[in-house]
Amino acid sequence: MNKRWLKLAAVPITLSFVAAACGSDDEGSTDTTPAESTDTGGDAKTEITVTGPERDESEAGSIQEVLGAWGDENGVEVTYIGDADWEANINTQVQGGNPPDISIFPQPGKLAEFARDGDLVALNDDAAAATAANWSEAWTVFGNVDGTQYGVPVKADLKSLVWYQPAAFEAAGYTVPTTFDEFTTLVDTIAADGGAKPLCVGIESGQATGWTFTDWVEDMVLRQHGADVYDQWVAHEIPFNDPMIVESMQTVLDLWSEDNVFASSGTIAATAFQDNGQPLVDGDCFMHRQASFYSAFIPEGTAFADGSEGAVDVFYFPDINGDAPVLGAGTLAAAFNDDANVHALLAYLSTPEYAEARQAAQQELKGGGATLSGFLSAAQGQDPAVYQPLEQSFLEILDTAAIVRFDASDLMPADVGAGTFWTEGTAAVNGDKTAQEAADAIEASWPA
Amino acid sequence: MTTLEELDDTLQAGSPVPVEPLGDDAGQSTAKVWLGRIAFGAIAVLVLLLLATQSKARATAGLAGGAVVVTGGLWIGANLVFNQAAKNWQLFNALRYGIGGFIIAGIIAGNGAINGASEGTGVIGRLTGFIWFPLIIAAVTAATGWALGRIDAPTTRLAIGAGGMGAAGLIIGAMMDSSARPDNDAVALIGWTALVAGIGAGISFLRKQPPTGGALLGAAIGWILGAFGAPDIGDGAAGWAIVACTIPAAAFGLRFAMKPIGGVVEHAQVDRRARPVIFLAPALLFVTVTLVIPAIRTFLISLKDRKSEEFVGIDNYTDTFSDTNSWDMSGWNDMFFNWPMRIGLLLLIMFAVIGTRMKQRTGRLVELGSPSMGPLIAGLLFVAFGVFTTLRGTIINNLWWVVVVTIFSTALGLAVAVLADDVKFERVAKSMIFMPMAISLVGASVIWRFMYVARDSSKEQTGVLNAMWVGLGRLSTGQSVAATVFVFAIGLTGLSVLLRAIAGRKYVMALVAIIATPLLVLGVDAAWEALSGDLQRFLIGAILTLTFLALLAYAAKAIARGDFGPAIVPTIAVILLGWFLVRYWGIVGGGVGGQKTNSNGEIVGDPINFIQSSPYNNVFLMIVLIWIQTGFAMVILSAAIKAVPEDVIEAASVDGATSSQIFWRVTLPQIAPTIGVVVTTIIVLVMKVFDIVKVMTNGNFGTQVLANDMYFQAFTSQNFGRGAALAMLIFFSVMPIMVFNIRQMQKEN
Repeated sequence: MNKRWLKLAAVPITLSFVAAACGSDDEGSTDTTPAESTDTGGDAKTEITVTGPERDESEAGSIQEVLGAWGDENGVEVTYIGDADWEANINTQVQGGNPPDISIFPQPGKLAEFARDGDLVALNDDAAAATAANWSEAWTVFGNVDGTQYGVPVKADLKSLVWYQPAAFEAAGYTVPTTFDEFTTLVDTIAADGGAKPLCVGIESGQATGWTFTDWVEDMVLRQHGADVYDQWVAHEIPFNDPMIVESMQTVLDLWSEDNVFASSGTIAATAFQDNGQPLVDGDCFMHRQASFYSAFIPEGTAFADGSEGAVDVFYFPDINGDAPVLGAGTLAAAFNDDANVHALLAYLSTPEYAEARQAAQQELKGGGATLSGFLSAAQGQDPAVYQPLEQSFLEILDTAAIVRFDASDLMPADVGAGTFWTEGTAAVNGDKTAQEAADAIEASWPA
Repeated sequence: MTTLEELDDTLQAGSPVPVEPLGDDAGQSTAKVWLGRIAFGAIAVLVLLLLATQSKARATAGLAGGAVVVTGGLWIGANLVFNQAAKNWQLFNALRYGIGGFIIAGIIAGNGAINGASEGTGVIGRLTGFIWFPLIIAAVTAATGWALGRIDAPTTRLAIGAGGMGAAGLIIGAMMDSSARPDNDAVALIGWTALVAGIGAGISFLRKQPPTGGALLGAAIGWILGAFGAPDIGDGAAGWAIVACTIPAAAFGLRFAMKPIGGVVEHAQVDRRARPVIFLAPALLFVTVTLVIPAIRTFLISLKDRKSEEFVGIDNYTDTFSDTNSWDMSGWNDMFFNWPMRIGLLLLIMFAVIGTRMKQRTGRLVELGSPSMGPLIAGLLFVAFGVFTTLRGTIINNLWWVVVVTIFSTALGLAVAVLADDVKFERVAKSMIFMPMAISLVGASVIWRFMYVARDSSKEQTGVLNAMWVGLGRLSTGQSVAATVFVFAIGLTGLSVLLRAIAGRKYVMALVAIIATPLLVLGVDAAWEALSGDLQRFLIGAILTLTFLALLAYAAKAIARGDFGPAIVPTIAVILLGWFLVRYWGIVGGGVGGQKTNSNGEIVGDPINFIQSSPYNNVFLMIVLIWIQTGFAMVILSAAIKAVPEDVIEAASVDGATSSQIFWRVTLPQIAPTIGVVVTTIIVLVMKVFDIVKVMTNGNFGTQVLANDMYFQAFTSQNFGRGAALAMLIFFSVMPIMVFNIRQMQKEN
């Protein structure tokens, strides 16, 4: 039997399977054309994909659980994909014409760029109304691009916090610092005493390596030079290599000296930001400055602020000028797909019900009881009872602080805020560049 | 029936025809056939199932199958048409004129330029909608071709060519849709016609042919450009449209008719010349679509701004070169004082000294395998390190990668291929070294990241290399010397005794070993722990010193005997151990390895941050690729070495050449072309290195390379112009090496 024809047939068949495997799953229904806020009705997807950078088990698990429950009620299959390289992959997906239906942006700057390029879909009237009703303007403004609402705030973070173990402080005879001078003195004292290091720092985070450094610098700019300079810095009204900014970068680098820092992977640049919770609990270091969501990375079974041995608590990262500025951040969901169900899901994401459900789910995944979930939302009308006392105090700080500023790197253009600020900052932390050299390089990369 | 009986008869008659008995073999082959059929059936069912359930697979299969059928049909058709060239010139001529006319008219009608030809709905509608027009034109041109394939008289030919093609042009012009009729722009028309006609005549002149033909062809093309390209299209005069179409068509016809009809030889030549083109066409088409067009597009993008909107000239290239991250010369004045440079220069001086002595003896400064070759190569390598560690940046890193990975992969591969040639464990050794080739670059990077992991100095090291490094530091400073070494030694001895006893069926002995080994281990451990720290330190030092003395004696004896070969390993061990002991006993400084004194005066571990400490972290990344590529070099070079004719080597050894002389002067020159191929292949691979850097550092810590920077610029920063410029840079630097490589391979064939 001559089987040559089989070989011939095998080529197109194989090709077709390869193509089918490589192709996108959504049958060409991805409509990336931007549309004004109108009800399109009609076409409604039954499968919605949501992506975001949150990928910790409790974070991704709770998002999936809550969105899945919403989907079950509405006859939609919702899949959440937590992506370690979200910053790079979302660009590729959008460029390739294969974006997710919804993505959760930690950077309003990036959201605005996508919106201006026409990749994002503005909220329809219902979703926009829900967002306006559920969140104060201080938050919704970050999802508003040139007067059109694109983003729905879904999470709030309080960044100016220092995690510590009260029992360890007590045992060593240290007290919680209330001014920045006291803080630096305390760091020097702990370093001089030997044993455990004063600080745990790690800035490794995959594609986003370096963001922890940007948070520290932002907190320092806010403390050393005030909110006005901070705003000018974000808007690029002063250059990135302004002496004031370089000074703040230098302050951070000085604090991160070898004697002061416990880096569980040898160096700060090599240590994953998630890997600082364990050494804090183990007593390898005394303090760790990190946002409210960091409770998600404190090892399971650790008690929070209940006075017990080994419990972990926070104190406010002290200020310099007595104006108590607070650095905040948050994530915003926005749609790449103009679809009735996608808009409906966005509307749901803005509600206090979503916040409460997510908080409950994430807390459950973290072990329940009195543990902190790491989640925080500033949606109006939430039942405060879903939060632990410590979390309620975070919300109160966010609510009442006179100076609250959004994370600067997240507001800057993505080239800088999710690009050179991270990479050049990492080079400075690693000692490959000085603060001045790094700042010069970042300034040079600011898009004209 | 009869045949079977006949066969039976012959068999019984004891025919000498060998008939295979239906034994095991036959059964097996039937089973094999059935197994094959079942497997084929299963695959077929699976494929059908997939096609039935997956609409996307179905659509793609249809598309791919259709493409294959259409391409295959065209290819077969082209062959059939050209089959006629030698057989029936007239038919062939009619066919090619007809097909040409059909295609051109099809393009014109398909673009909606013909009145009454429209795209209908559905497949049939589409075909009948405008297919009639190309058919009419094809009939006219085919008739012209038929006539031209028959008539020999030159004047008649010219009249038929101009008339026939002109008629086709007339039909096109007359039926032209009003929306496609051009305005009359006489200046542009004359200008273009004259210009292109001049160019055509010039080309003909250069090709040493009569310029009339080229001028005619050029005039026709120029006329089309001037009549349809320059003026506004749409609602021109109907008469002018006819003139505009008829004249160039007639000119083409004249040109074709000028060519004489030719004899059998010319016709066979047409056939012969067409075949390679037809056979290459599918491949060329594929390469064009997947390679050439993307490359051109990338080049165009590299000349545009970050969003590919405006042309910015070569700004992206100048930006790349002026960026200090890709090209940083600021450290150049340190270049001459760093230690690799000093060692390199020292080695080069050594080369100069040895080389001059060689020159006096043999008349040459350096030769393959001469004593001056080692210092020269090592010296140049160290100088390169001196340069690459001080000048930093993406481009420098890439060059560094190319130099180090290429040299070490090839040299190590060659060394293994030579040393493992014809030894007992050749296959095992080669398989082991070839194994990393099977691991993906990403996988290898992850593996090596674990090798390189560093932990805080107060913690135990979990990375293999740092655990050894810090362990060496502890040992050399006499801190917390564990009894592990002794425990291991006793445990291993016990195990070997046990195994030997079982093999020799001495079960009593085995029992003793089983009982005694753990006791001894525990006893030694306990005794060791009971000793004071100083005593432990002294004991370890004493054992190591005795080992050192023994090795020294062995090496000295070997050297005294003149056996330099066996002395090499002990000599190196003596030097290393000697240095270790000097530090151990505190004669000069204290300790070797990863340890340091912290601010509180305690000695703590001092791991190496392999991946973070610039610039040598680059080398640790390169090691991953060397680890992988050595296997590749080894396999290719090993095959080349085995292909060196045995008699040449025998002749050399009969002439009294030593084995090293045979290698350097016989084997190496023979495999030089293969080495060239291996080197260029590795260079091309290294120029494009991406995965390792992406996984291990993501370009941080001064390890950025071109390919990763390209990814970062294009997909993270969304600066497509800059990303494309980097892509072109890689392309341009790989290109000459590729060309060299291909030529080398062709030469070999």
